[in-house]
Order: sequence, then C-alpha cells, then structure tokens
Amino acid sequence: MEKSCTLLIHFDKGSPAIANEIKEALEGNDVPAKIDAMKKAIMLLLNGETLPQLFITIVRYVLPSEDHTVQKLLLLYLEIIEKTDAKGKVLPEMILICQNLRNNLIHPNEYIRGVTLRFLCRLNETEIIEPLIPSVLQNLEHRHLFIRRNAILAVMSIYKLPQGDQLLVDAPEMIEKALSTEQDPSAKRNAFLMLFTCAQDRAINYLLTHVDRVSEWGELLQMVVLELIRKVCRTNRGEKSKYIKIIISLLNAQSTAVIYECAGTLVSLSSAPTAIKAAANTYCQLLVSQSDNNVKLIVLDRLNELKSSHIDIMVDLIMDVLRALSSPNHDIQRKTLDIVLELITPRNINEVVLLLKKEVVKTQTGELEKNGEYRQMLIQAIHSCAIKFPEVASTVVHLLMDFLGDTNVASAIDVVVFVREIIETNPKLRVSIITRLLDTFYQIRAARVCSCALWIIGEYCLSLSEVESAITTIKQCLGDLPFYSVSEEGEATDASNKTPQANSVTVSSRRPAVLADGTYATQSAVSETAFSPLTIVQGSLASGNLRSLLLSGDFFLGAVVSCTLAKLVLRLEEVQPSKVEVNKATTQALLIMVSILQLGQSHVLPHPIDNDSCERIVLCMRLLCNTGDEIRKIWLQSCRQSFVKMLSEKLLRETEELKAKAQVSHAQPDDLIDFYHLKSRKGMSQLELEDEVQDDLKHATGEFVKDADDVNKLNRILQLTGFSDPVYAEAYVTVHHYDIVLDVTVINRTKETLQNLCLELATMGDLKLVERPQNYTLAPESSKQIKANIKVSSTETGVIFGNIVYEASNVLERTVVVLNDIHIDIMDYISPAVCTDTAFRTMWAEFEWENKVAINTVIQDEKEFLNHIIKSINMKCLTAQSALDGECGFLAANLYAKSAFGEDALVNLSVEKQADGKLSGYIRIRSKTQGIALSLGDKITLKQKGGK
Amino acid sequence: MVVLAASVLSKSGKVLVSRQFVDMTRIRIEGLLAAFPKLVGTGKQHTYVETENVRYVYQPIEALYLLLVTNKQSNILEDLETLRLLSKLVPEYCYSLDEDGICKTAFELIFAFDEVICLGHKENVTVAQVKQYCEMESHEEKLHKLVLQSKINETKDVMKRKASEIDKSKIDKNRGDKGGFMSMGSGRIETSFNDMSISSSGSGFGSGSGLGVTSDVDSFSTKPKGRQPSSATAPPKGLGMQLGKSQKTNQFLESLKAEGELIVEDVQPRAGQSRVVAPAATDPVTLTAEEKLNVTLKRDGGISSFDVQGTLSLQILNQEDAHIQVQIETGGNPGILFKTHPNMSKELFSNENILGLKDPNRPFPTGPAGDAAGVGLLKWRMQGADESMVPLTINCWPSVSGNETYVSIEYEASSMFDLRNVVISVPLPALREAPNVNQVDGEWRFDSRNSVLEWSIVLIDDSNRSGSMEFVVPPADSSAFFPISVRFSATSLYSDLKVVNIIPLKGGGAPPKFSQRTNLITENYEVV
Repeated sequence: MEKSCTLLIHFDKGSPAIANEIKEALEGNDVPAKIDAMKKAIMLLLNGETLPQLFITIVRYVLPSEDHTVQKLLLLYLEIIEKTDAKGKVLPEMILICQNLRNNLIHPNEYIRGVTLRFLCRLNETEIIEPLIPSVLQNLEHRHLFIRRNAILAVMSIYKLPQGDQLLVDAPEMIEKALSTEQDPSAKRNAFLMLFTCAQDRAINYLLTHVDRVSEWGELLQMVVLELIRKVCRTNRGEKSKYIKIIISLLNAQSTAVIYECAGTLVSLSSAPTAIKAAANTYCQLLVSQSDNNVKLIVLDRLNELKSSHIDIMVDLIMDVLRALSSPNHDIQRKTLDIVLELITPRNINEVVLLLKKEVVKTQTGELEKNGEYRQMLIQAIHSCAIKFPEVASTVVHLLMDFLGDTNVASAIDVVVFVREIIETNPKLRVSIITRLLDTFYQIRAARVCSCALWIIGEYCLSLSEVESAITTIKQCLGDLPFYSVSEEGEATDASNKTPQANSVTVSSRRPAVLADGTYATQSAVSETAFSPLTIVQGSLASGNLRSLLLSGDFFLGAVVSCTLAKLVLRLEEVQPSKVEVNKATTQALLIMVSILQLGQSHVLPHPIDNDSCERIVLCMRLLCNTGDEIRKIWLQSCRQSFVKMLSEKLLRETEELKAKAQVSHAQPDDLIDFYHLKSRKGMSQLELEDEVQDDLKHATGEFVKDADDVNKLNRILQLTGFSDPVYAEAYVTVHHYDIVLDVTVINRTKETLQNLCLELATMGDLKLVERPQNYTLAPESSKQIKANIKVSSTETGVIFGNIVYEASNVLERTVVVLNDIHIDIMDYISPAVCTDTAFRTMWAEFEWENKVAINTVIQDEKEFLNHIIKSINMKCLTAQSALDGECGFLAANLYAKSAFGEDALVNLSVEKQADGKLSGYIRIRSKTQGIALSLGDKITLKQKGGK
Repeated sequence: MVVLAASVLSKSGKVLVSRQFVDMTRIRIEGLLAAFPKLVGTGKQHTYVETENVRYVYQPIEALYLLLVTNKQSNILEDLETLRLLSKLVPEYCYSLDEDGICKTAFELIFAFDEVICLGHKENVTVAQVKQYCEMESHEEKLHKLVLQSKINETKDVMKRKASEIDKSKIDKNRGDKGGFMSMGSGRIETSFNDMSISSSGSGFGSGSGLGVTSDVDSFSTKPKGRQPSSATAPPKGLGMQLGKSQKTNQFLESLKAEGELIVEDVQPRAGQSRVVAPAATDPVTLTAEEKLNVTLKRDGGISSFDVQGTLSLQILNQEDAHIQVQIETGGNPGILFKTHPNMSKELFSNENILGLKDPNRPFPTGPAGDAAGVGLLKWRMQGADESMVPLTINCWPSVSGNETYVSIEYEASSMFDLRNVVISVPLPALREAPNVNQVDGEWRFDSRNSVLEWSIVLIDDSNRSGSMEFVVPPADSSAFFPISVRFSATSLYSDLKVVNIIPLKGGGAPPKFSQRTNLITENYEVV
C-alpha cells in the first residue's frame, strides 16, 4: 500500500532551501526564523527530499518550543515524515515524539490539545499512539468543546486502526456515554459518527431511543442519521419499516441539505410508489426553491436516475419538472427537456406541448440575449414530441412556422427541417403547411433555410392553385428581372452597395467546408455568418429575400431556385390543362434561370458563378426545353422516394440505438447472479458486504485495485538493457488513468555487490516523475523490483529514458548503463467516442492544430483502408455505414475520439482510388492541442504503411 | 458525504495548496487535480464538474480556483456550503489573491481548512470561529502560566526552608564530620532544577518529568490500570526513558540530601502548600485584595524607594452569580491612586464606589475553584518616601573585634500592622559552619548552600514591636552582610479597602454569599 498524501504545497524551485540553513534556524531561539525553517523543511519533504538528519534537530530544538505556530507546523511535519522503515515497522526514534505529543494532549491551551488530537486521527502507527491513549481519553471529558470534538474523532480513528479495538476496548461504551451528555452539535455528530462506524448496534440503539427528537437534532447529526439508516437497511432489509418514519419526519427539516439527503435515502430504501413520489416531490421542490445552478443540475441528475428506475411515477410529475425551465441557464433547460421528453405519454402530451408552446412564445417577447439558443432547444423538443405523437404536430407546426424568418439561423433551420419531416409524415397537414409556407416565405432570411423551404415547395405543391401560387411567390421574391439594372445609375448605386458587402463575403467564403459525408467542398455560397445587416436591410426591401441573397453572391441558392422552378413547371404540366399557361410558366422559369446565369457571369459581383451551380442551372434549362417521361419520373418521384428512404433510415437508426442502449444494461450470459437472500452474512468480511456508497468513495480515492490481467502484463514487458550488461533490467508499464506505473525488475548479473544502485529516469513530453529515485544495494546475482510512478497530464506521445547508475566495490567510479527508451503510447489515452455531426463540424472549424498526412499504403480497397485506420488508431467512425456503402472509387469519413483528459481528437479521411488501383488522398487530424495532432499523425504514418 | 480534498489552484492549473481529508496516494490526488483544469470549461454557469469517479465543486476567485474534490454521492448542498465558507476564509488569510499570496500563506490556509473540514466531514463553524481557533489565544493557558510561575516561586521558598532544615539537622548529626564535599555541584543542580521547572510543560523528556513541577499534569504512572489489559502487560515505552525513582537514583538523591543538597522530591501541587496562592474558594463569590510591597531601605536609615501595588480580584464560581456589582469602601488615603479594569464602568466607581461592568448585561467571567487568580477589578498604587509608612525597619551593626565580627541586628515594626511570618535573611560571608548566635528574639537557621542566616519571627504584634539578634562570624567586611532581605505578610492593607456589599443585578434575590480576603505581602523588601 502506498503512503497516503495529506497535503500538497506548490514548491518554488527558484529559492531552494539548504538543509544546513534550516538546521541552523531551527536551533536558534528566534521564533519567526524557526517557523520559517519549519515551513521550508515541510516543503522540501513534500518535494521528495528525505532530510533524515533533520529529525533529531527537530526533536531537540523544536519539540520544546512554546510557540503555537511552531507546534502546529511540527504536527504537519510529523504527519508527512516517513514513520516506518521498509518493513513497515515503526522507526525507533519515533518514540521520541511521544512525550511531546502527550504534553500537547494535556497542554493548558485547548487549541493545542485540539490540533494534536486531530493529528492523531491521521496517525496509523499503533506503537506511537498506544502510550497516548490515556491522555486522549481524558480529553473526552474536557469542558472545552473544541477539544471534545477532536477527542471523539481521535478515539474513532484509533478504534478503526487494525488492532484498535484491543487498544480501546471500551471505546464505544465511552463514546455512547459522551453522546448522551454532549450538547455541542458538532461533537454530538462526531460521537454518533464514531458509534456508526465502530459500533453500529449502539448507534441504532441510541437512534431508536431518541426517535421522537430526531427532528430537533442538528443538521450535521441528521445527516449521519440518514447515512446510518441507509447502511442498516442495506445490510438488513427487514428493518426498513422502523426507519421510514424517521425519514418522513426529516423530510420537513429546516436544512435543505438534510431534505436532499432524505430524498436520496428514501429512494435507496424503498421502491414503494409513495416513497418514490415523496422523494421526487422533494427533488422538484428543491429544483424550484434552490437558486444555485449546481444544485439544480445535480437534482436534475437525481431525477433522471429516478426516471430510469421508476418511470411510471415520474410521469405524473412531469409538469413539476418542467418548472425548472424558468431558469435562464441553458444547461438546466436542456437537461430538463431531456428528462421531460422521455416522460411524455399520450395523457400528458397536450399539457407538455402547451407549456412548451408558451415558452416558445415567451422567447419572442423576452429581451434575453441567448433566447435564440433556448428557442432552438424548445423547437427541437417540440419536434421530437411531434415525432413521437404525430397528432400534436398539427397544433404546433403553425406556431413554429412563425420562426422561419427567425434571425437565429440555427433555430430557423430546425424549424424548416421539422416542417419537412412533418409534411411527409402527416399528409393531412400538407395543404395547410404549404399555404402557410407560401405566405411566410418572403420572411425567410437565411440561405440555408430558403433552400430547404424551396425544396419543400417544389416537392409538395401538388394542386394547380398551389403550384401557381408557388411560382408567383418565388417570382415575387426574386423581384424584377434582370438582376442587375441595365440603367447606368442603378449600377452605380448597386456597386456602392456592393463594396462593403463583398468584403464580408470574401471573409466567410474562403473557408473550405466539410460536407455531411466528410468530403471537402469549396463553398462559394455565403454561410450564415455572412449575414451582415446590409443584406437584411436589402431583404426587407420590396425586392424580396431571394433577390438580395442572390445579389450577395449565393449561387447555390440560385441553383436551388432553378431546380424548384423546374420541378414546379413539370408538375404544372401535369395539373394544368391549358398548354398556353404551361408554356408561359416555362418561359418565365427559363428567363429567371438565364438571369441568374447572367448575373453569375457578369462583373457586378466579385465572384463569378461556381461550376457546380452553373451546371445545375443549365441542366434545369435543358430539362425545361426538352422534357421526357424518364426525367419527369426522376424529378417528381425518385426525389421524394429518396427523402422517404432517408427518413425511414433515420428512424431505423434511432430505434437501433435505443435497442443497443437497452441491451447494455442486460447481464452477460456468464455473469454471476447474486441472490441477496441466500447470502450468508455470517463470517463475511466488511469487504464483501461493501455497498455502493463505499464503492463510490473507494473509486474516488483511487483505492480500487484493478485486477491486473496477467496476460496483458506480459505483453507490455519491455527489455531495458542487454543480456550482456552487468545489470539486466526489464519493465512492465501499467497505464492508469492519469498515471503510469513502471515496474522495473533489476537483476545483478555480476558476482559483486552493487552499491548505490539507482534508477535514474527522465521524461520527454507531458510526463512528470512523481518521486525521486532511491538508492539500493544489490547483492550478487540478486534481483530487485523498483517501482516508478509517472504522472501524465495530457494526451501526447511521451518518451521515458534513463539509466542505471551503480558503484561496484572495486571500481571507484560510478558505472552507468543506459536504458532503452520507453515510449508511452497515445493510444492508451484515447477511447472512441460519439458526437453529433454539428458538434463535429463546429469543433473542426474551431480547432487550431491540423496535421495532414498523405495516404501511402499498400491496401487497395478504400473500405478496408478505413477499417484498418479505425482499428489502428482506436477511433469511432461517425459517418453512417449506409453512406459508406457502394463502390464509387472514393470515400470520405469522419472519425472521432476523446482522450482520458477530455480532449477531442477529430480525424477526417478522404481517399480516392487511382486508375492504377492505388489509394491516394489525405488524412487530416485536428485537435485543440498540438500534442494530440502530432502524436496521432505519427501513429497514422506508422500504421498505414503496415498494411495488414 | 465526504470531502476528499480542498485545494487552491491557479487558473493555469498549477496546484498551489491542497489538503486531503481522507487517505489517498499522492499520484492519485495529483492526477485528479491535474485533470481538473482540462475539465472545467468556460462559459458555463455552473461550477461543478463530474467525472467517472469524483465530483469537483469549484469557485473562481480572481486568478485562482478554490476547489473541493468530493465523491459523487456527496451532498451537493452541503458541499456548496463548505465551499462558500472556504471562499470567505481564503481572503481572510491571503493578502493578495494570486499565486504568490497563496504560496506565502499556504500553511495558514491549511490550518484554516483543517478547522472547517474534519476527516472529510463538514464542521459547524463560522469564519470568526475559524479565526479564533487558528489564533489559539487561550485564557486557560495564561492562567496556567501564572499558576506555574507562582508555584515556581513557592517551590523556591520551600527549597530554601528545607535547605536550612537539612543544614540544621546535618550540623546536629555530623558535628565531627566536617563535610568535605559540601558544595559539590550544588549550584549547577539547583539552576538546572529551576530551568526545568519553568519549562516543564514544554520539554521534560527524561529527567525533567521526574523532577519538574507537574501541576495538574497526569503522568504515565497515573494511568488507570484496569482500563487497558493490553497496556498493563506491556508497559508503555516512554516509561523507560524516564529518570524516575529507580533504586540507583534514589540512593543518589539520598546521598545528595545528606550532603546538604536541596532535593524537592515530591512537588505534587497541594493547596495547603501554597501560601502565595490563596486557598481554593468555597464561597460562591470571593474577593481578594492584595497589596505587594516593594521597599528598599538604606542601611544607615532612610528610604531609597517605597512602592505599594494593590489589586482587587474577583472570583465567581457559578455562572448564575456572575451578574453582580461590588460596593467597596476605601480608606480615603489621598496618596493612593485607583485604576479600574477597562471593562468596568468608571463613572459608577468614581461616583458611588461601585465596581460594575460597563455593559450591565454581561456577566463576570467565572472560573472553578481551582484557579487562584480570578478576575482583576481594580488596581491601585502608592508611592512615597515617608519613613513613617515603612512597616518594618532593620538596623544591622557589624563590628570587628579581634579575630571575629560581631553582628547585631535590630528590627523595629511600626504599629500600623501586625506582621506574620517575618523572615529576615542576612547574607554571610562564605562559612564552613553555622555562625554562633549569641542572642536571638525568635528563631534562626543557617542555609549553608547560600550562606544566608535566616531570622524568623512568627508574629510581630504589639508585644514585640522591636527585637534584636546577635551573632559572631569570622572577620568580614561589613558590606558582606548586605543586602538584607525581608519577607512577611499582613492582613491589613495600606489602602484599607473593604468590600461592603455585593449587589446582584439580575433576579433581585438575596446577594450571593461572598468572602473577602485581604493580604499584604512583600515582593521585594530589602536593606541595601
């Protein structure tokens, strides 16, 4: 067991204190100098020095000091020094401090007594404690409460020591007595805690005899009572009934902390609906009454847990949970919505949607800054409600469509996507949606929303009147043709308008964008960020929104407009009996397309039209000039079919994910089944009865020793020196979360004793040695296990190198054996993770470090190459499997992983199959820090050549 | 419900101070703290982060993070409370809230953290209380020191008296045996004894604890035997180190004693032993008026200095009796200046001669019977050079006659006081044996170690206002017999201060019973 560490202090290496100076100051009579020297000594000790010579100086000169600060520092010093030898025996000189401790325990100053008692709580050495016990016990009855509090704790820690129950046989009895007379709440708590941990029966006894007064007890004591109840009931389910009453009475306690704890206890004790309901109610009350965001979030976590275990009860409380939406914090709102969405049932859906609608309306009027984000959340929530219960869609869709013209592009996009899905799934709503959409179309400001809305219009305008009004709407929004005025003066004003705008366009459009499938696209379209106020002003003019967008250089939108028009004209042909009208519409559409092309090729705009859009517009024109059944079928039916397919696939994926989630909680077929009631509790150690709370604490303190997989261990053995070296060393490297443990076996291969053998290690990268190396003496042909702890602070490939230094008896100089380097693999810190497509894109845009690795591999198949990379760098492929299907000669995929330190690693892979069968392309790695990008790049370069 | 650690980190993630409250390895806590800066995001409106195993609850303070590491089951409401308290404490101890400031006051912060969290559990304290706990000002300790000091003085007295007794008996016993090593090492041992008794609370390993003044200190030997069967079989190791009462040392002590060394073997504090310290009070309220005399007389008559310092102290046993005022009466001596304790109401005193606290709602401090000192209410002081005020004059006439010096001493007491336990110590030149006393009124004894002749008179009253003594020593310079120091006590005072009544402030019932003591003692009374 490694030594525990009780304090850390930042040590400034700039001013190293010398042991001699410290010693001198300690020997002197000057109290401030003594204090200073003690502090320095403690700092040096914390920094890994051992300073063995200082101990006697301290015993001689510091122990007798009367100064309180010196005495307190002395206790800290005693706390951190090594009190045992290598075998775990207490060093003989430690007995020297006993007298001082004893004097302190009977010191007239109550605070000296108190801090000394507190120090004893941290002491594990029975040999030192034993002579002090009478003095400790005396302090139990001291009239000063500061002493009593600490004395009780000291008794508890002594009793908890390995042989503590023999040292202090009647400790529980004494403490019980003390508890009955104690008045101070803190001391009372400590006493009860002692009984709770050391003599549970007595604690229960005390609790049950004072049942009526529990609600009057202090907050601290009530907390321990609850803890006790939880523990008792876990080991002994049958006694539950005795305690429920106490908990119920405590639910009305003054302190919110107690109330919170009560709710937790209730949940752990009982699964009766009333109990759960009471707990959930309490949580909901806390949620509303507590203003602290932290509390709200954690209470929501608790509610979430309750939801997964007792969904039927939580359903009734859905409206209470929703009250948390009043908090202005987005994290809280999001969490609340997440919980609520899973609680929706046909019974409460209407109520919930009503409230959500109200909230949406509220965001319109409120002046709050981030309302847009909240609105987006609400819209998404309503969206998922509508998917679950299509009947509510009709009530919300119209409200939501008011937000199509929202200045917050993200929420507008959410709305339009929602509308697109609803119009497909709810055929009944089609007519009203289309009418509404055509009415509000002119309000839409964002290009992406426009294009989506146009698609909906093109796809779902079926009747004659709809098609006709759609064409008129589009025409209105485009304004008068041609786009740039023929008159000279108009051009002049246009040009003056355009100059500042052009700047904003260039800024934003230079960026390459990643498309959803992971390919790069040089987007000449203006992204939403380029939405300068200027365009909005223009958009609000009579000229119409489409026109202003086109004039800002968004030709992709131009292509969408063209396609929509083409589609509408094709549909018109079907529904319009009059050929003349059709031809008229066709020519108008052609005119618009031509105008767009003309605008694109003119010098008015800083950018000419891009080839893609140009080709697309030309295609539309050809189509209108030369229609055919085949093409008509593609345009009017296949398009819709693929959309339906997409929707169904999305649904499928969601259900699959749900299924996968449900699967996780199931037990493995070969798992041990624990029959609680068959468990014999007799003769079973505490360890086996360990409950989740203690597990939790153990997890937190890192006490859990993972079962080391021996096979794994053997795989990681590294040979550090050669077989012919006088010292042979090999290490196995265990990588924990934040630290690396090197277990080095050193074998003396000579026939001499090696003295002062020292394993000196140095590190490169974000690694840090925790301890200083120690010197060992190695007998001939014997071996020694040396452990070295190395701290890791970020995900980066690190190198540990070092040497073994030793002295042999006949050689005067120190001999050095250089060790093989140990490379710490970045892969140990990376684990596959999932993030949403949008999150990936924002991160991709944000991250500063990019490492571009050219593909150079013997693998011939793109898919195989992708799998190889995924396997070798341990990442998750975000691109859906369906998108990777098919043979087309190229492949693009996004990979994502998270490091143990919470850093993100993004990888994009773009491969193309060359004519000669070889793969070419790039792998790009992006991360926030340089380390990950570089190390991952190195790893990929190394692995991709490997082929198989 | 456990706080694992309380730490202060810089914004850049450097760990400045961290105090752990449960056992955890260094690598673990360093790992946890190193991970924290990466986990804490910006722009969040909540201040906790959860990981797989722990929860961090933090609070930014200027360029720092104050951080609590807790387990995940921990009660967030309580933790936030703790964090709030800590965040109030940090600025109390750090003059500047940056890395330097924290580093400089790291230890003070650790001490303060310790007061707030005990073994991972929150303590019920306030900022003021933590400050008080950290300052460690203890009334009891001050009292203890006073008591200790007075005990040391008293022990010295006892030492002197015993020494003279031993001398006497030795002279009686070993007339023939002219002790060869009479003064062997005597000075050294005595001084070391004194040192040790002073420092007995601090040091006292080994020999110190055997000899030192152990006041109310319990020692290993007082350990109740029946309580720990295990410790009864295995005696504590500390015992061996003690220079206790082993056979050898006993012999050594015996022989030292035989040689006129003063060994105070048993200095267990007993109430009866103390003359300086008033006996334990049994009445609910005790008032002690005490005057100390500092007088220096010239050998050929006249006063070189004269100073009386008086105090009136109050001791109350029970809290119930603490709401009182004290009505006093002074003798009206114009040479005496009274000063009240700062907490007393001056007006009340000057107008009505009543001693009461400024704030009538506050009680007087109370103390148990064991504490001697009580609370000082009033001080006074009298200075003067009038010979008539001197209670006792000493006249010492050394005269050389042939091979010997005849010294005749005479005392004359003023009629103002009846003096008790008068001891007149006359230093003598170094002598090998006791001087020849020809005539004495009262008793005498010779302290060979200090070569002092002590002339003691139990009581000087009207029957013996003057007395004399004559002794013969080998020839010596007359200045060798000075300075003569005198000790005595008396029960009446210069100030004639009397407590007339005690007025209860609360309840209106009968005034609590009170007892009054008056005591005049010499602090430094010599003839030079």
